[in-house]
Amino acid sequence: MASVSEMYDVTWEEMRDKLRKWREDNHRNSEQIVDVAEELINEHASKLGDDIWIIYEQVMIAALDCSRDDLAWTCLQELKKQFPGSQRVKRLGGMRLEALEKYEEAGKQYDSILQEDPTNTAARKRKISILKAQGKNTDAIRELNEYLELFVGDQEAWHELSDLYINEHDYGKAAFCLEELMMTNPHNHLYCEQYAEVKYTQGGLENLELSRKYFAQALKLNNRNMRALFGLYMSASHIAASPKVNAAVKKANVKYAAWAANQINRAYQLAGRGTKENKCSVKAVEEMLESMQITMS
Amino acid sequence: MAEPELLLDSNIRLWVVLPIVFITFLVGVIRHYVSILLQSDKKLTLEQVSDSQVLIRSRILRENGKYIPKQSFLMRKFYFNNQEDGFFKKTKRKVVPPSPMTDPSMLTDMMKGNVTNVLPMILIGGWINWTFSGFVTTKVPFPLTLRFKPMLQQGIELLSLDASWVSSASWYFLNVFGLRSMYSLILGQDNGADQSRIMQEQMSGAAMAMPADTNKAFKAEWEALELTDHQWALESVEEELMSRELDLDGMFSRELPTGIF
Repeated sequence: MASVSEMYDVTWEEMRDKLRKWREDNHRNSEQIVDVAEELINEHASKLGDDIWIIYEQVMIAALDCSRDDLAWTCLQELKKQFPGSQRVKRLGGMRLEALEKYEEAGKQYDSILQEDPTNTAARKRKISILKAQGKNTDAIRELNEYLELFVGDQEAWHELSDLYINEHDYGKAAFCLEELMMTNPHNHLYCEQYAEVKYTQGGLENLELSRKYFAQALKLNNRNMRALFGLYMSASHIAASPKVNAAVKKANVKYAAWAANQINRAYQLAGRGTKENKCSVKAVEEMLESMQITMS
Repeated sequence: MAEPELLLDSNIRLWVVLPIVFITFLVGVIRHYVSILLQSDKKLTLEQVSDSQVLIRSRILRENGKYIPKQSFLMRKFYFNNQEDGFFKKTKRKVVPPSPMTDPSMLTDMMKGNVTNVLPMILIGGWINWTFSGFVTTKVPFPLTLRFKPMLQQGIELLSLDASWVSSASWYFLNVFGLRSMYSLILGQDNGADQSRIMQEQMSGAAMAMPADTNKAFKAEWEALELTDHQWALESVEEELMSRELDLDGMFSRELPTGIF
């Protein structure tokens, strides 16, 4: 097996910089991280200096993802030697126990962290993820709610809670969580789009109107969000097709749906620039849009 | 009225002005590292962390509430401000003003602050005054009144000398404040050598609310939230969106990422 540096012909500095970029962007490409960092640690450990500790942390989590307990154990031992008594290292030890499905011991580890420092958010969140890993969704939701009462500002937790509620089909509460995220990140088009999808799933005329508005907002924030474009088309067509609306609203929504259909067509035209496969997909899109028109009117 | 310009020995420049600059700078750097060593951990209680986050959430609600539907905004405003059991109305925290006498950790903090900042300044200022005394060091570029003479010209007993000519002690104090930006450049923001900032903090810290005064903060938030109205930013979002075609330029590019690098 050729090493990474041989395959791609890169120096160790480039590998280190790539790892840093993945760390800063919070990528979860664990297999790639393990490949690159394993070579870096084995061959070039002395040249890395103090960077090596944060790389150990990054690699350990990636190794747990890939079931590489040997690598994870090595990293953990090195970190324990360098930082004895550190809560951050204890948390990593707990994560390893979780990966080995030793949930009781992991829970005890996190409890000991919390005894020392009750404000430690990482340990609390790991306890909740233990519950989620064991499939105890309702317990996880309850614990996460209690956590959020204490730490209202934790956006990662709000997003996790919205995912849990969506799994339980409790769309009203999921929408609440997403609203928190939209308020703290008003320029993030993905939260708007996810909120719109939840509202669309909830159904009912008011929710459909809201979802149409938020799909439009997501598009306004990012013109290229195809999912929001399709969402806009679907919500507008559904409102127009509903028997409860008056004529003016129906007319407006038909206009919105037509505009959205136009934009979808444009995008598909741009995508393939007339190649053979693309012609088929463009035709498929047109047929789909036409069929929706027919069911509507 | 124009007095003849004094010509100073260039040795003064070499052996007085520059050494004072170096001394001040090095002492500042040393102070920075000493303050790091002596720094005590500030432990926050769970309640303090929680309260600070609640205040942030309320502020965000006020500022960005226009991005969520009106119903949701009102629901949250009600949760915070309701007359009987709104969060800001209901929660009263025990406020213990941390005066230096009762709170031992604050006392040691103050002492450490004094030792690292004020003491060296006095010592070095006195030493410079003693070593480099008896001559004029430099001239400030703006005219000063005679009132400044005893302050800035310590050690020089000339009645007729223009007050703009100052002694080395004043050059030292000038350096202490002037090198602040150099410290920021070299040691990064928030450094322990930044004395004037610390003095400012000490003066304003006595006047402004101590961290334990969450009750006042809650009251201020309550009032601010009462005044906020909901102006939905999405009223006419469809019209704005559809006024022009979508910008799909460069959306589909031929290049695909291959592998890691």
